[in-house]
Amino acid sequence: MTFIPGLGIAKGMALTLRRVFEPKVTIKYPEVRLDVPPRFRGRLQLLYDEWGTLKCETCFQCAQACPIECIDMGGIDTRGRYHVHWGAPEQYDERREESALRRSGRPVPDPAFRPFAPIDLAAVDAVLDEYDHDPARMLAILEATQSAYGYLPVAALKRISHRTGAWYAMIYGTASFYAHLRFEPAAAAEQADAVARHRPAETTYLATLGAALDGSGRPGAAART
Amino acid sequence: MTATTPRPDTHADDQGSSGAASTDDPRVRLDRDLGVFEPVPPYPPRTEREAEFYTLGDGEMFINMGPQHPSTHGVLRIVLKLDGEKVVDLDPVLGYLHRGVEKLCENADYHHVISQVDPLEYVSSLFNEWSPVMAFEKLLDVEVPRRAQYIRVLTAELNRIASHALFLGWMALDLGGLTPILWSFIERDEIVDMLAAVTGQRMLFNYFRIGGVNGDLNHDFMSRLGDWMSHATEQIEAGNTLLNENEIFVRRMRGLGTIDTETALRMCFSGPNLRATGVPFDVRRAHPYSVYPELDFDIPTRSEGDCLARYLLRMDEVRQSLRIIDQCLHEMPDGPVMAKLPRLIRPRPGRAYAAVEGPRGQYATYAISDGTHQPFRMRIHDPSFIHLQAVGVMTPGNLIADTMAVMASLDPIMGGVDK
Amino acid sequence: MTVIGRGWDRLTLPGKVVFTIVPLLIALTVGLVVAIVAFGGPLLDILGANLPIVRFVVAVTLVLLMTVPTAFLIIYMEMKGIALMNLRIGPDRVGPFGSLLSVVHGLKVLMKEDFTPTGADPVVFTWAPVVVYLASVMTLLVIPFAPGLYGADLNIGLLYFFAIGGLSVVGLLMAGWASYNKYSLLGGLRSAAQVVSYEIPLTLSVVGLLLLAGTMSLNTLVENQGGWFTNWYIFQQPLGALIFFIAATAEANRTPFDLTEADSEIVAGFATEYSGMRFGFFFFAEYVNVFIMSALTVTLFFGGWNAPFPWPWPIALSLDPASFGIGLLFIAGLAPVVLTLLFATPFFVLSSRIRWWQALIAGFVLANLFIIAMLGAWAYIGLDWVAGILWFMLKTYVFVFIFVWMRGTLPRVRIDQLMDFAWKWLLPASLLNLFVTAAAIVVIRS
Repeated sequence: MTFIPGLGIAKGMALTLRRVFEPKVTIKYPEVRLDVPPRFRGRLQLLYDEWGTLKCETCFQCAQACPIECIDMGGIDTRGRYHVHWGAPEQYDERREESALRRSGRPVPDPAFRPFAPIDLAAVDAVLDEYDHDPARMLAILEATQSAYGYLPVAALKRISHRTGAWYAMIYGTASFYAHLRFEPAAAAEQADAVARHRPAETTYLATLGAALDGSGRPGAAART
Repeated sequence: MTATTPRPDTHADDQGSSGAASTDDPRVRLDRDLGVFEPVPPYPPRTEREAEFYTLGDGEMFINMGPQHPSTHGVLRIVLKLDGEKVVDLDPVLGYLHRGVEKLCENADYHHVISQVDPLEYVSSLFNEWSPVMAFEKLLDVEVPRRAQYIRVLTAELNRIASHALFLGWMALDLGGLTPILWSFIERDEIVDMLAAVTGQRMLFNYFRIGGVNGDLNHDFMSRLGDWMSHATEQIEAGNTLLNENEIFVRRMRGLGTIDTETALRMCFSGPNLRATGVPFDVRRAHPYSVYPELDFDIPTRSEGDCLARYLLRMDEVRQSLRIIDQCLHEMPDGPVMAKLPRLIRPRPGRAYAAVEGPRGQYATYAISDGTHQPFRMRIHDPSFIHLQAVGVMTPGNLIADTMAVMASLDPIMGGVDK
Repeated sequence: MTVIGRGWDRLTLPGKVVFTIVPLLIALTVGLVVAIVAFGGPLLDILGANLPIVRFVVAVTLVLLMTVPTAFLIIYMEMKGIALMNLRIGPDRVGPFGSLLSVVHGLKVLMKEDFTPTGADPVVFTWAPVVVYLASVMTLLVIPFAPGLYGADLNIGLLYFFAIGGLSVVGLLMAGWASYNKYSLLGGLRSAAQVVSYEIPLTLSVVGLLLLAGTMSLNTLVENQGGWFTNWYIFQQPLGALIFFIAATAEANRTPFDLTEADSEIVAGFATEYSGMRFGFFFFAEYVNVFIMSALTVTLFFGGWNAPFPWPWPIALSLDPASFGIGLLFIAGLAPVVLTLLFATPFFVLSSRIRWWQALIAGFVLANLFIIAMLGAWAYIGLDWVAGILWFMLKTYVFVFIFVWMRGTLPRVRIDQLMDFAWKWLLPASLLNLFVTAAAIVVIRS
């Protein structure tokens, strides 16, 4: 605020008049488009790799990681039923084999694909009917399914997802969280116990490795005893 | 209609009287009250204050300002009780933007919380991320690498300048000046572009991570920052030239919406609004966090406590932010930008509180962990909500136009108020 | 009948309109031709006998027609001017440099739905824009655009101007009251308070000028300011001119006194509930008001249609086209060809990269520009009203630009400050101006 009345207004008027002749910043949108920054994350797209196959393996990790739960790999069909949109089984298998080949240099049979073999779904349906198709009672459904089959076949999980409307990713998460639910028949589970018996040796190895690397190994590696 | 008493439920009593006209018939409502929305709530008053407010005195009237008014800074609705042009009393009605963010956070993974809190104060998202991230780091007891700390300070101070630029523009616009808002947007756009280069997004950055930041500074960001530093805050200064000495502006703002230190402290003010009343409280100095203790900057204060002081103080803060950015660029160390952490975080049970100094004031998060991968409870302290309560103290006795000026000078963001 | 009915039903809405209007138009044309042939002679006699009335009717029609392009032009100036001040480009899509955007806006306003809110008083609501618009347009009648080019030369022209100009507040009040909306009501009341307060300094600021001039006829006022620009009244009444301009800004409801439609406070003021062409009338009236206030400022204080230097109008050009006889045809036919070749030659000679037809096109364009410039110069020198309207519009649009410029720069004042300014500053200042002028006249003349 100056002592001369109107000086501030005059200054402002002079500034705006000067601005009339300065270069303009407008971007003429349809003709000129700004580059999207390389780190832009807002574009969801299905990518193809250099062999022309779809990179998506329908692993549901993105659906599980999405904080606002906007990614889903399913949909409602015309009769109002929920379907999980699986990738084509052949492609899935192929892709798994391919990635295994790329990593290890030799084809690895993928046991995770075997459960897609048809099983008798009547037992699952009976379990689902018993629990009223209620996704909130998922743990009970899974336990009953396991007692019916002896383990949790992936086809059964698919069926549960299909009928209850719960996401496969969530069902899988629940099932993998609890130690008493298993995805392989009991014999395989016993084998896993045998593997676990060798665990102390692995821990010792990791601790030795950590000491050799001067403590700069993965944090928590030493604590995992 | 002159609403002397709160109107009872309009449609409850015409069930029996008119047999043919159902209550769903739109004509019934139109004939009843001419389709005009009265601000009087349709239920009997619940508190004494409500009963007093919704009783009109002689020559008074209600007017609904918002939620679709051109200048209520989002979807705030203020019911004004007017005597002519003079505001007798007012009643802010909140909740039009409520999304339950705190509850959403409690149902999200620790990493997911960052993107949930991003749109709270949407003009300064980095500060929204900073305080929960700091709280979680305290829960986990993680040390953030120094380079990440410096990057956080650098980007956050840039964001502070962008936010204050927008404040300047909105304030001028609420007072009827058309030009400063567009100049401010030029300034903000340059900053936002460079932040987009490093974070990937222009508005909801989602950049800070628990234990660091999402990515290191890249060449695009540094070249844009260098370009901008050569004419930094040029547009803001131009806006100041238009406003600071303008007699119309100064006459309107000086002495308007004055709040004294006592009241401001009692109302839990913080940030520029508190510093404009003379209290040199700044979380960056009072409860130092990150690398702020190593940086050299001042805490500008003013003693008037009116709208003009709040405006000028924010402009002073922009200059201090520039100093901080300069120092960050000179002293930034090399090293990793992310601490080594597992992908699924399960902190030990405990509680943590972390506050940062946002552009609007103290922005804080209080988180309780029960040992799972989700926060057990999470609460967010938002300065806009605190400052909004002062509108009821500052405005009565002034004119309608002053309501807008007071609101603009407090700079609330409704996304943060309603959460 | 059924065939016709079915055919009628098949028509689209525009088809129905065309099928109704075209026969009507044909009948009307035929009737008019017959009427003119039958009664043309007597009609002309009647018209000739009542020349002032005919002149008045023509003037009113022309002024009404003039307001629309004027409003379009000022709206475009405002959009573009403020955009440039904001470092934007502004309108640039419709027409050259976006100059037709305001026309498109006008068409849009015509096509929008025009509704009356429930609870509004339909009659008052409908007539309010008309009152506002007519009050603006009617004041244009007394403004002298050029020597001999004015609607009516009233000897109380200035008084008429203020009287009719004050009518617009009635329209604003009507709009504010009839809209059944509290924002509209506040806007209407604000406009009433504002216009009534600023009428007084507006009128008082020119009283000093009237004492000097001794007349209220705007034509005489302008003629008094002929000769060099030092004769303009601004140099004898600087304070009066300043007060007049400020008060005129308030009268035209422009920034920084645009409280009646302060969008950040009372949404759109009295125009909140209006849409379509009824809003368009308000919109046009505002910009016509800007033009009128600029025109009046120019007329009163800046010499009206006078050039800033003396020019002995009219110069009788000694060139009589009839004296050429049949040679006129040759000149009219040959001149464009000769000029085109003349202007094309330097292009062709100077650069080998320019093809002959490109040079010819350039020459043709330049020749046309040259001819237009020559004709314009001839009109400027030979016709005093062309020169007058040129200077008048030039000066007026300078002031229109100042209005736009202020809108791009200044924030809005508050209503109590507005009132304080009118009653505590402008009114005493205008009284002081009047007193000093009167004293000076007494001292000098005695």
